[in-house]
Amino acid sequence: ASEGSDLPEYVNWKEPETLIIHSDNTLETKRSAFGTASITPEDRLYIRNNISPPPSSIVEDRDSWEVSIEGVAEPRTLTLAELKTMGIETVTMVLQCSGNGRAYFDHDPSGTQWQLGAAGNVMWTGVPLRSIVEALGGVAEGAEYVTGTGGEELPEGIDPLSILVERSVPLEAMEDILLAWDINGEPISLAHGGPLRMVVPGYTGVNNVKYIKKIAFTEEESPARIQQTRYRLMPVGEEGGPQWPSVWKMDVKSWITGPLDNRGAGPVLVTGVAFGGTTPVDSVEVSVDGGETWHQADFVGPDLGRFAWRPFVLAVDLEPGNYMLVSRATDSEGNSQPENFEPNQSGYSHNGWRAPGVEIAVS
Amino acid sequence: ESDSTREQGRSLFTEQAEPPCALCHTLKDAGASGTIGPSLDVMQPESEIVMRAITQGIGPMMPYDDLSEEEKQILADYVAQVAGQ
Repeated sequence: ASEGSDLPEYVNWKEPETLIIHSDNTLETKRSAFGTASITPEDRLYIRNNISPPPSSIVEDRDSWEVSIEGVAEPRTLTLAELKTMGIETVTMVLQCSGNGRAYFDHDPSGTQWQLGAAGNVMWTGVPLRSIVEALGGVAEGAEYVTGTGGEELPEGIDPLSILVERSVPLEAMEDILLAWDINGEPISLAHGGPLRMVVPGYTGVNNVKYIKKIAFTEEESPARIQQTRYRLMPVGEEGGPQWPSVWKMDVKSWITGPLDNRGAGPVLVTGVAFGGTTPVDSVEVSVDGGETWHQADFVGPDLGRFAWRPFVLAVDLEPGNYMLVSRATDSEGNSQPENFEPNQSGYSHNGWRAPGVEIAVS
Repeated sequence: ESDSTREQGRSLFTEQAEPPCALCHTLKDAGASGTIGPSLDVMQPESEIVMRAITQGIGPMMPYDDLSEEEKQILADYVAQVAGQ
């Protein structure tokens, strides 16, 4: 992976020194670039595109973007201009790639070797899906999933279902889904799904379909490969398929964002971020001796809701020696991060507290 | 890498693999300008990474089960050797 200013063209507005470039479709925020920020600026937010984005022409006249709503009493195609008259809400949410933490598995799973940087905490603004459904006469009988289709252009000569970005989430998610046009108060960039993105709070990145062009309430999960065989949680050595659980909701997680380097003895603020995934994070503990002894950390900044992360801090005084900094969060239902996370074939959903430990020497 | 294996690598990349890698990836040496997947000239993956992707698949890319082990290795070595040139 290379750094420096050779950012791909569609993300050349980002801050190169805050990002690890894995490929032109996969960029990771550096661990040192998180700090204790409640909100991750778009100029350092990670990028994971399953397939390359559509042409930038689609964000030149945003309000003319169209999304078709199906599986409702009165199916219709709506422009972004119309959506902007139907309701507005803002949700703060951790956006995290399903494969964040893949580097921490020992079985060398294929795919980008993300550590912790395929994640950020952002504010999305848009119209609640439930308001749209209400205006269109309600969900059709028998629907069990919300299925969103992305507007990427597909080349000739390949089975569209093999690369189409179309994802289904359980119907219950409709209560929280937004069709969002702003991120952190600015129109969403093409790189992050502009002009319109289906935002599913608490669900991993792939489910938050970019350039959303169709939302359908369906009885079955999408037939697209990205749903049927990819993004499935199966044991190591198994092949993906609909018999395995889909990667949907995120679990409780936290990591240390500083200090990350060796330092001189004395007082230091150990900082990090913690979140519950779909439930509020309740508490986070920090250990400087690799989990031998734990200390309750304090949250920093406002509580921005159950889908958001919360920066935390623990003041410690370090004598000369070697330390292993780890953090362990607990959500409001009492679920805590495990020490190690059960391996799965494609390396998804890692939230073990030991592997992301930071080793520092104090002199 | 001898010329013949390099030629075979190129033909695997552009024709023999199904679907052809060239359809989705950019690789100048193979005259490929696909933009669905990441540009291999930018990524410059090592042979082992390419081998893993061909064998296990990544994201929307499926494993190429119909290629023999030898063909996969020739393809992986080819991509690793020419990417970015």
